Amino acid sequence: MIKHKAALALFLSLSAPALLFAAKPAPEVKKAAATPAAINGLTAVDMPYDAGNAAILKWPVDPAVAADAFYVVYASSLQSGGWVEADRFAAPAKTGKDIELPFWAWDGSVLEHAVKVELNNLFGESGKDAVFQFRVAAEKNKQVLAESRAVSVTPAGNWFRLDRLNNLVLLIALIVIFFWAVSHAKRKGLFIRRIAGLDAIDEAIGRATEMGKPIFYVPGIGSMSSISTIASAFILGEVSKKVAQYDSQIKVPHFDPVVMTVCKEVVKQSYLEAGRPDSYREDVNQFISADQFSYAASVDGMISREKPAACFYMGHFMAESLLLAEVGATSGAIQIAGTDVEHQLPFFFTACDYTLIGEELYAAGAYLSKEPMLLSALKVQDFGKLFVMLSVFFGMILVALGARFRWDSFVPAILNLFQNY
Amino acid sequence: MKLIKKHIPLAIVFVTGVLTLVSYYVPHKVSVDYIETMNKWENIVVAFAFLLGLISLFFSHYHKIKRKGDGWGYSLFVFIGFLAMIIPAYTSGGKQMVEGVLTPLGWAYKYIYTALSGTMFAVLAFYIVSTAYRSFRIKSPQAFVLFVAAFILILGKVPLGQIIWDSALGWTGQNAAGVIEWIMSVPAVAGKRGIMIGISIGAIVTSLKIIFGIEKQYMGKD
Repeated sequence: MIKHKAALALFLSLSAPALLFAAKPAPEVKKAAATPAAINGLTAVDMPYDAGNAAILKWPVDPAVAADAFYVVYASSLQSGGWVEADRFAAPAKTGKDIELPFWAWDGSVLEHAVKVELNNLFGESGKDAVFQFRVAAEKNKQVLAESRAVSVTPAGNWFRLDRLNNLVLLIALIVIFFWAVSHAKRKGLFIRRIAGLDAIDEAIGRATEMGKPIFYVPGIGSMSSISTIASAFILGEVSKKVAQYDSQIKVPHFDPVVMTVCKEVVKQSYLEAGRPDSYREDVNQFISADQFSYAASVDGMISREKPAACFYMGHFMAESLLLAEVGATSGAIQIAGTDVEHQLPFFFTACDYTLIGEELYAAGAYLSKEPMLLSALKVQDFGKLFVMLSVFFGMILVALGARFRWDSFVPAILNLFQNY
Repeated sequence: MKLIKKHIPLAIVFVTGVLTLVSYYVPHKVSVDYIETMNKWENIVVAFAFLLGLISLFFSHYHKIKRKGDGWGYSLFVFIGFLAMIIPAYTSGGKQMVEGVLTPLGWAYKYIYTALSGTMFAVLAFYIVSTAYRSFRIKSPQAFVLFVAAFILILGKVPLGQIIWDSALGWTGQNAAGVIEWIMSVPAVAGKRGIMIGISIGAIVTSLKIIFGIEKQYMGKD
């Protein structure tokens, strides 16, 4: 009996939703019994400072629309019909202040809604003069409360990203300082602070020469478009010049064939400049593998077998940093490392004798060459850091004061200045 | 000769550098297309350079085997490994799986390549321990700071460490998770951001040196 009751209850509970759906039609957005109110003032404009694949819709904020209602934005690439839902958000959300553009490029107001619609996400690549239609509806409980008329816009590509003006001004300032430092270096020369890791390079090469063992120069796993790899190639030039002068041996295992090709020229040129072109061998630069761990395993094997006197790790490194540096440390080599990957720096700190931190890697080539023109770039780096320090200091004070005295428009303006768009 | 060896390469670097720099500030489709074209060119150059790399690899190992240099036996594995991947890749038409079944390439990838890569990555754990041991030998004030920070982090990340913390430092009113949170979000982030700002400025200045022809070591001596 109990079994029968339970079976009946189970049957009823399972069939209840089916019965409910049978009684009602499938849920759908339906219009209110009365004609929906109109959303007035909807305008569509081309999204400024983009490639011409987005539009912005604006309409006034209506306090009469309930906070729990939703606005639904529809877009179409056809002259009539073909509407697709582009966005849906709670009625109080998305005002002009929410568009992520700085104050000098966008005059956003909390009194109007502003919605950015990415057209290429909805319709793919469009033609040059494509026209897009938009309309907006306010909905609550799947009933349309208000609707706008359709508006259209033809998006166009822009020629300047005004939102990146802060970035451009900083770049121009750096270029001006750069040329000032170059001309100053030509006339008077510059004082450059000592960098211990780079001063140790001579010591490391001297040690290798005395011991009659090779030097390993590992340029990392970056491609030639990585700035750290370019900086590494410059350092390699100076290191191989010294190696050639001391008549020592250098080995450069490569991860990237393009880097290998460039480094071959750099090393060959260094041997020429040192007056020992006859000592240069083609197998100084050797391609190992374009796979991270195969590369690490192979270089580890070479270090273990050949027991180099010195190892240099300069460039872009990821997980293989410790795999290489630890094997080098256990083989007893003097190790100097430098990378711009800040989360690999701790591994180099602990496993190497000297580590170049961040921008010291970029400074190394110039520091070693001692050419005044190149050294001037170090001065620009120092000026850049001074500028950032002062900006952070005064920015911090201004934002704190703004927050304390409730300068509501001032604080976002200051933050805009330091933001990347 | 100077025109070909010096002026033309410098002009190419300058024009390409400036155009790429300007494209950051120009959102127009022309600019987007330019960057796409440059990326395609880079891919083509990389493909050809890879061939050069392969030739370099084979020649160096071939010569090592030929003259029976130190560890020449390992060089044999370069060729064996190459054939172990290239023959299955050829016979499988480059596909790793057909109708849910592993092809010879899929098998070689899964049971040779992935296994070896995983092994290499696993070795990292042992190296971290040996490196940690070396760095925990306190020889300087900086090493002491590193040790203290690392010790707190290790202590807070294991359940037993939390018990030790509570019994030894519970009187401070702080729990290990709070202290770790502070170390990771205040001093660690401050240091990291300082390094990142320096790196960014260094990268900009290095780029300017190359674009304006101040740094031209890659072209050789004048």
